[in-house]
Amino acid sequence: MSSTILEVEDLSISFGGLHAVDGVTFAADRHRITTVIGPNGAGKSTLFNLVSGALRPVRGRVRLDGRDVTGAPPFRMQAAGLARSFQITALFFGLTVAENLRLGAQRLEPTGRLWAPVRRSGRAQARVQALLEQFGLADKAEYLVGALSHGEQRRLEIAVALAAEPKVLLLDEPTQGMSHGDTEVTAAFIRKLAQDVTILLIEHDIGLVMDLSDKVVVMHQGRKIAEGPPAAVRADPAVQSAYFGHA
Amino acid sequence: MRDALSYQARTNHWLTGALVLACVIVAGVGFAIGDTFYLRLATEALIFGGLALAVDILLGYTGLLSLGQALYFGLGAYVSAVTLIAYPSFWGAMGAALATGLIGGLAGGLIANRVRGVYFALITFGMAQVMAKAIYNTRSLGASDGLIGVPVIDINLGLLSVSTASPAGFFLFVLGMITALYLVCAYLMDTPFGRLLIAMRTNEARVPFLGYRTSTLRLGSFMLASVVAALSGALYPMLRGFVSPELLFFATSGNAVITVILGGVGTLVGALYGSLIFTILKSVVGSWTEHHLIVIGILFMLVVIFLPKGMMGLLHALLRRASAGKRP
Amino acid sequence: MLEYIQFVLAPQVVTGLALGVAVILVALGLTIIFGLLDVINMSHGEFYAVGAFIALALGQLGLPFWVLLIGVPLLMLPIGYIVERGLIQRVFHTPDRHVTTLLLTFGFGLVLEDGLRLAFGPNPHKPETPIPGAIEVLGTFLPLYRLFMVGFGGAVIIATALIVYRTRLGAMVRAAAFDRNMAASLGVPVEHVYAGAFAFGVALAGLAGVLLAPIYSVFPTMGRDFILLAFTVIIVGGMGSIGGAAIAGLLLTQVQAISSLYISPVWADPIVFGIMVLMLVARPKGLRGRLGHA
Repeated sequence: MSSTILEVEDLSISFGGLHAVDGVTFAADRHRITTVIGPNGAGKSTLFNLVSGALRPVRGRVRLDGRDVTGAPPFRMQAAGLARSFQITALFFGLTVAENLRLGAQRLEPTGRLWAPVRRSGRAQARVQALLEQFGLADKAEYLVGALSHGEQRRLEIAVALAAEPKVLLLDEPTQGMSHGDTEVTAAFIRKLAQDVTILLIEHDIGLVMDLSDKVVVMHQGRKIAEGPPAAVRADPAVQSAYFGHA
Repeated sequence: MRDALSYQARTNHWLTGALVLACVIVAGVGFAIGDTFYLRLATEALIFGGLALAVDILLGYTGLLSLGQALYFGLGAYVSAVTLIAYPSFWGAMGAALATGLIGGLAGGLIANRVRGVYFALITFGMAQVMAKAIYNTRSLGASDGLIGVPVIDINLGLLSVSTASPAGFFLFVLGMITALYLVCAYLMDTPFGRLLIAMRTNEARVPFLGYRTSTLRLGSFMLASVVAALSGALYPMLRGFVSPELLFFATSGNAVITVILGGVGTLVGALYGSLIFTILKSVVGSWTEHHLIVIGILFMLVVIFLPKGMMGLLHALLRRASAGKRP
Repeated sequence: MLEYIQFVLAPQVVTGLALGVAVILVALGLTIIFGLLDVINMSHGEFYAVGAFIALALGQLGLPFWVLLIGVPLLMLPIGYIVERGLIQRVFHTPDRHVTTLLLTFGFGLVLEDGLRLAFGPNPHKPETPIPGAIEVLGTFLPLYRLFMVGFGGAVIIATALIVYRTRLGAMVRAAAFDRNMAASLGVPVEHVYAGAFAFGVALAGLAGVLLAPIYSVFPTMGRDFILLAFTVIIVGGMGSIGGAAIAGLLLTQVQAISSLYISPVWADPIVFGIMVLMLVARPKGLRGRLGHA
């Protein structure tokens, strides 16, 4: 089993004349946290959309655990073991926390279970309980998502993505809009998650990026301009001129 | 382990039980006093309630507004009539209607699947209009007069047999059939399949990331709805002895939508209550004035604005308040 | 061949144009309402009928056609304004407003239709052609009234396009369509713009009703029959696009007019619907984009 679980090679897409992602190549290692950073408009979310199947690239390849999954639609990506959370919370708002998690975990059950009463999906239900404990939402299980605080919603967003036990988890700005305290808690979470799952992260909070990442990929105007351990990337003059300006 | 949605479903089951009980009492009374007209009217209300069930599956659970569900209802009715005229067998007619619902639902679903929202409503509307006009112009199907001469049949249920000519008997039989349809739908909506439909109604964009193909789910929902509509429609010629193109017209589809909204969208049982209320309204108001549509239209608008959860929403709220202390 | 053009084709094309202009007027109203308010006005056909009936009633009172032509749409403006502010705004801010406004306008359409039946009875009425006779152009006889319709209707359509794209008022409308909150913060009175646009849309439908009444006669369900064609036009043209509605309207009615020479009219609806489905499946955006973007 190689240490690389996700490989992105020359990935590209254009909208009109705009090269949103232009020839990006990098690799994410198993059970490591790889963070993608870059100024606004660098193409990070578009990159995520390409990797998770929401968009089809015009060029390039995506390989998951050795398998070519380029251009596969989201439901097939999920089957291959890739899950993602969204920058703008995309939960099922009229439903409860537990139901959201159960929907995420349903894929753990065989397809035939789709037609059996919900309570028979034992494995999914057990997963829901485990996640509720893990994410500290056990006492809010029957709450409607709308009743949660923003921080709790962002945590639930991650939990739902994690529900079907993916191999690779894409987190799109998981701490978006969170208070400082919440951010710290979430960071600790993510660090623990990496023990079981490979994490690919988009983040803006530089402190967090330096703290969490095993590897940092820097994007600028659709292209990758640096890839490496956090300290090395931070010292890279190209990165500094494109992005940093403050320590 | 039961969750919130299952609890809601359970309340709806109780409400259904109350409805069935009320109908049985009505049947008894009607039989005792030898009534025909009102029992037949109530039977018709239940049959159209089946059509409303179909609309609710699409609207209340999958989030798709169908303005042409009468297409499958009418097709089921015509197929049933043609079958009964040629070969008077209840199961034959139902089987034919089932096949029609499946095939028609697959065809219609594949077409309508490409679009959502408003466009879906327009496509379903258009499909029904086209078929309605086609049947209206087909001489061999009776054209604008429809098909008459559907025979009275005996429905053999093993221990006993029900004649479609018996007002109370057939009413109870239809009650049983529609209740069976309700139970099947209610069961399906409480499975992961049904929950995925609800998820699609809430946030369709996320569902593929859960690992499911939304187009397949929508097609499944559409076919379920068309089968329910077709089977309900198949009962119509058994009751009235004829079928006409009006069964496919927009008025029928529109009435079904009104029925669902009145009763409470997304509850299934609301469709049944709504249909009974609607039928009662139409005949009561219709006996004062020819222009019952104005009254119904205004009532409908008031419900849309002020009571969006319909009658079931009201009942649920009352029941919640009543049992406020009892639930853990 | 020349005779064919003279006696069959040309008059049919003119008839098609006349109908086309009326269809465009109705579709224009529908597409403006959709493009701006994001509302599918299911009662639009009934407003078309209302226009025709008001013209009928006032005409029977002796008012001349010219007065009706201007007066009826003007009369419908305040009606539309009130309907938008009083009815549609009540559900406009709910989460599933697309379905709710559709249902609400559907219910309102029922009320309008039955109201017309109540006031005028279910039977059709046919007002006299206001401009009888025909003129001879290059050997063919073209009905004067239909020519008038093409001219007048065409002028109204062009005027609408000019207002929307070349005036400040139009710029406000397009801004409000593109981004409501931004427009509001820039001082555009969005509530009035919305209500005004709705009023204008139904006034256009009413005008079409006035124009078509002498040709197709007037009866309470005339709106329902017309609406499938109107929806097809805006879907083919692109919902929210004025230019698209014009092009699609002309195209579809010409197709209808010319094909009715060869095939039985029962095929009209299936063909129209077939085109709608094809468009929705192949190119959901239609020929053009939305009001704010077109």
